Amino acid sequence: MQVITVVFKIQIHSNHYMAIKTKKILVPLDGSKNSIRGLDMAIHIARQSQGTVVALAIKTVPGIYAIHPFGFLDFNSMTEIKKLLSEAKVRAAKRGIDLTGKAIAGDPGYDIARFTNNPKNKIDMVVIGARGRSSAKEIFLGSVSNYVLHKSKKPVLIVK
Amino acid sequence: MTDSFKNILAPIDGSICSEKSLERASKFVDAFGSNLILIYVVEKSIPINLLDRKEYLEILRKFGTNVLEKANKKLSKKGIAAKIFLKEGNIVNEIEKTMKKEKCDLIVVGNKGLGSVSRLILGSVSNKISQSSSCSVLIVK
Repeated sequence: MQVITVVFKIQIHSNHYMAIKTKKILVPLDGSKNSIRGLDMAIHIARQSQGTVVALAIKTVPGIYAIHPFGFLDFNSMTEIKKLLSEAKVRAAKRGIDLTGKAIAGDPGYDIARFTNNPKNKIDMVVIGARGRSSAKEIFLGSVSNYVLHKSKKPVLIVK
Repeated sequence: MTDSFKNILAPIDGSICSEKSLERASKFVDAFGSNLILIYVVEKSIPINLLDRKEYLEILRKFGTNVLEKANKKLSKKGIAAKIFLKEGNIVNEIEKTMKKEKCDLIVVGNKGLGSVSRLILGSVSNKISQSSSCSVLIVK
């Protein structure tokens, strides 16, 4: 019995040594093609580093609604987001990756950056599509991805 | 296919951030078994005196080869063989050119190097690369 435990410990140790730092990968989703490409990339990286993926879907809420407590209760669009997350879950499960979904109402760029910078979430990397749904403020990079790129304190991978 | 990284390009300039990005790139190389390409670009667009220009460029070239050699030594300790390039010209243009030439799938850059600051947090070079490159970009912080 003792021998077995020792072997087990060694295995854990070697696993720890081999591990790459990117354990938890954040993927913001908005339903566009680019965001799905980003999800695929995140799954690919997670497979290599044996990590997990966190999908974050954000419902855009105008600032005034955010003050009002019942502003979030727009059930129709919340179901749309939930559907998006469940689709992502299926996509990840097909390749054998754990995916946890999160739905938030708010401003996309700000909330993604806040979610990544929150030390409680322990995000190691953000994978984001270059262009999403929001209006073209810059020619090549989307406004939200640009915002996240500037504000996040974790590495950002932009998928093109 | 964007799914696998065959060639990874890592532009370096000798700053702390570029060292960090190199570390991250080497981890990617370990995980995906891809080729690593290092590049140092000597900036030629600086308006300096014509008399000093030659000497200044010579110093930069020396510094560049030094940085590349150091990085290569570090990588060879980890068992990674990397291609090395020393180019001259506009930094962003040269990086894009080599990216197209070597058919890279991923560029790994640090968030701030030795270049000028265009925005508060992101450096000017990494900002331009992230805006205009045609392949995926990883910005290490």
